Amino acid sequence: MSSGITRDEAIERLNGLLAEEMEASMRYLHLAMMVQGLDRLVVQKVLQDNLEETLEHSEQVAEKILQLGGNPAPKIRIDFEERRYSGKEALQEALLFEQAALDGYRDLLEQVDGCGDVILEEFARQQVSVESEHVSELKMLLGE
Amino acid sequence: MTGWREFDQNLVSHSAAHHLTTIQFLLDEFGYARVSDVARHLGITRGSVSVTLKGLRQRGLVIEDEHKHLGLSDEGVRIARGIHIKRILLQTLFRDVLGIEDEVAEQDACKVEHLVSDDTADAVGRLLHKIETGKAPQQMQKMMKELEKESSGTVSDFPSEKIQKFAELLEQRQTENEGDTK
Repeated sequence: MSSGITRDEAIERLNGLLAEEMEASMRYLHLAMMVQGLDRLVVQKVLQDNLEETLEHSEQVAEKILQLGGNPAPKIRIDFEERRYSGKEALQEALLFEQAALDGYRDLLEQVDGCGDVILEEFARQQVSVESEHVSELKMLLGE
Repeated sequence: MTGWREFDQNLVSHSAAHHLTTIQFLLDEFGYARVSDVARHLGITRGSVSVTLKGLRQRGLVIEDEHKHLGLSDEGVRIARGIHIKRILLQTLFRDVLGIEDEVAEQDACKVEHLVSDDTADAVGRLLHKIETGKAPQQMQKMMKELEKESSGTVSDFPSEKIQKFAELLEQRQTENEGDTK
């Protein structure tokens, strides 16, 4: 890596993002189980689709870590609330952790932008784009 | 025994306590706190921080400005400072009075800091103050020195026979006292 970010720093960053994605998967799974109300089936479908996408993202991030010669080792510590969620509440919570993931990818892009590793830069750019779409989609569903 | 119910209804969870004290620490140290700073300090994801902060915002303890900078409400500051002070008092009690190793004392204080009542914390504070200012009874100071001498570091067989028998005696005495007051 020529400048901006070292290989170890990139691996550490990516492991942080891997933790975000894996936690998001678990949160989507939990929300899909705990959502209730008239719109349950519709919201559950959205949550399950997003769950599959976050799992794909996890695999992509892990692949990137391996390509850099590191080991995927996410530090995951997650607390679930013991309660049911309305469709709106579930989507609001999903928006929180999707926004967090987007912010994480933005930070990565900022660090690798112009650093010389075109593949990593392109990956970060692509993830920012995909996560931005997720966030926009959730905001539209919430009418924000 | 209804203590476990109080535990469940505690004002702030262990995780929430850490978020509040971390925000206070970052504000004191750097003058600002963002979700990413809290996540880095606690070694958890931004997603987890965001989800926890949602609850704390709804309860009016944490505030966020348009630049996504975090702050604490007056009540949030009061709770964060209270938890921080309880941590210091308990750590000192465990280390200096009971002779527990500093690292273990810190970890144990961290586990209970948000659960201990204000009354208990206040009593611990007063006790430590008496010891600090030399106003503790001489007998107690002598006892603390004895405890320090007896302390053998890490305990591997808790409860020892001696402690177990003593606890049984205490329990029996407590039951008798409860019977007397009914």
